[in-house]
Amino acid sequence: MGIISTSLAAQLRDGSNIPKRNLGNTGLQVSIIGLGGYHLGSAKDQNEASKIVDTALDAGINFFDNAWDYHDGRSEEWLGVALKGKRDRAVLMTKVCTHGRDKQTAMRMLEQSLDRLKTDHLDVWQIHEVIYDNDPDLIFRPNGAIEALVQAKKDGKVRFVGFTGHKDPAIHLKMLSHGFPFDTVQMPLNCFDATFRSFEEKVLPELNRRNIAALGMKSMGGSGEMVRHGAVTAAEALSYAMSLPVSVTISGMESPGVLKQNLDIARGFQPLSSAAMQSLRDRCRSEAADGRWELFKTTKKYDGDVGREQHGFPKATELPA
Amino acid sequence: MPQTSTSGAIPMRPFGRHDLKISALAFGGHHLGDAEDENTAVQLVHDAVDGGITFFDNCWEYHRGKSEQWMGKALKGIREKVFLMTKVCTHGRDQALAMRMLEESLRRLQTDHLDLWQVHGVTFDNDPDLFIRPGGAAEALTLAKKQGKVRFVGFTGHKDPSIHLKMLATGFPFDSVQMPLNAFDAQFRSFEQQVLPELNRRGIAALGMKPLQGHGEAIKKGAISAEDALRYAMSLPVATTITGMENSEVLRQNLRLAQGFQPMPAAEMQRVRDSVKQVAADGRFELYKLSLKFDNPEARLTHQFPLDMQQVEVKEMLAATENTGHPYPKPGK
Repeated sequence: MGIISTSLAAQLRDGSNIPKRNLGNTGLQVSIIGLGGYHLGSAKDQNEASKIVDTALDAGINFFDNAWDYHDGRSEEWLGVALKGKRDRAVLMTKVCTHGRDKQTAMRMLEQSLDRLKTDHLDVWQIHEVIYDNDPDLIFRPNGAIEALVQAKKDGKVRFVGFTGHKDPAIHLKMLSHGFPFDTVQMPLNCFDATFRSFEEKVLPELNRRNIAALGMKSMGGSGEMVRHGAVTAAEALSYAMSLPVSVTISGMESPGVLKQNLDIARGFQPLSSAAMQSLRDRCRSEAADGRWELFKTTKKYDGDVGREQHGFPKATELPA
Repeated sequence: MPQTSTSGAIPMRPFGRHDLKISALAFGGHHLGDAEDENTAVQLVHDAVDGGITFFDNCWEYHRGKSEQWMGKALKGIREKVFLMTKVCTHGRDQALAMRMLEESLRRLQTDHLDLWQVHGVTFDNDPDLFIRPGGAAEALTLAKKQGKVRFVGFTGHKDPSIHLKMLATGFPFDSVQMPLNAFDAQFRSFEQQVLPELNRRGIAALGMKPLQGHGEAIKKGAISAEDALRYAMSLPVATTITGMENSEVLRQNLRLAQGFQPMPAAEMQRVRDSVKQVAADGRFELYKLSLKFDNPEARLTHQFPLDMQQVEVKEMLAATENTGHPYPKPGK
């Protein structure tokens, strides 16, 4: 039967009412909202981070995002501590930050990530920040990061692999053009993206066609900018993103307050009607048109220092946007 | 070594479809405002004119008007010897604002007309829509031409070829279009590949800029020599190449290279492109395409993009406007 009956069955099993969806063709089921790893490292301290993870798990969130370079490893360390004894309840993802460097660098980063996360395997391992026009060439070159993905899977250290990036649909499509069997692909998906350099229009249908799990991010602009400036409400932004044909929407929740806000939206979630989605797109269209709420596409503001260094770009302190 | 003539005049080239010629090397207005002082600036302009440069670039928002003021002073008495261009900074705002900016530019430049008036900084994806909308800046270009205050009109931008093509697709009768043209651009989000042929087809004067990628970062880091960089840009099918000359040494070097200039043969252009291929591929030396670094504060404010408080233009704006956040001329002024 279809997705809905499976989802209902899964909800009954774990007693929560956050819907679950298939993670592409991996056989895994994930909550429609995932806990973002960057913001976890922005929590007050380890105790608060652990409390956020516990509350999320108990509420039915089972997808946990992270990356090797978030807060210089703190995000992974805190999540590792928080998941101690509960690792099996989580679908755990982290990302590797080679930014064009070779397979060996990637494998070293994997060991560091496993160590910090206190686990012997990842459920999903993704190449982080594929955002420079030549990143696909560098990743797929002989002895590039793509070979690390294959190796790690073969070694049983990761179950599934993918990539992520926030810059341009064209770069994602260039990655997909290699025909590599990615299990997941992560990208910004929100009601402004829908009409501006749109991952929703250009990448999402291709992933659905190939049954690659689509992971949405930046539903509110990356750090809640769209909501803070009154362009949309948190409920509108998150509901729009979760109504798309994605497996999970990854959202940063650096405090119990934000976690509660998102849980309230995700519990018993019913996707928006296509008319409601269209009306939100129409409302956002004029402000979407110059990318003011999606600075990750139009500026350097969201590009990490690790990648900048590899590509010979100035640091964030020297080139803030 | 490439052959470089050290004597002769700077070649003159046709200004698009029009029956007049401009010098193949043009004097950039932004860097003029970086000169040591007004006297130095005046001397630079005079030396440039004497050296055979006829095309002078400027812009309403360069150094809060200083670039225009210094150029105006320098051109006093020799205005008719040059082809004078400046730019208007509406960034999506309306015709009336554009016309007020034109009056300010004419006053600062001490002239009653411009040879060329261009829309500055067409940078954001929706700028073409805002330009051509009823009451938009396009109507100011038409009106200024009709009033005899400007002879020709065009636009400029450094961001993305697709935005330039969208401007051309509005159907507005531009006389000129300005864009970054250099050996890095040749293989990264390329104006050379995507825009330049279209301009040549339509008889629109192509004005190249950023032959040294803006502030010469690639030269400082040894990725290309200044001579290769400038000669590459000037060898393209453009009307002129605009470059900054903020001191007499740079001016002298540029004049030496431009006087008696012979375009690079195709094979040599290919050699230059190949030599920068690796570092061109991620745009590290073309930050104007990828970051806000070269986007002026007025543009960012209009589009509600964040200001970079370290940026010299932002500091100048805040000082000049006494932190009012209103950088534009007021109505009725």
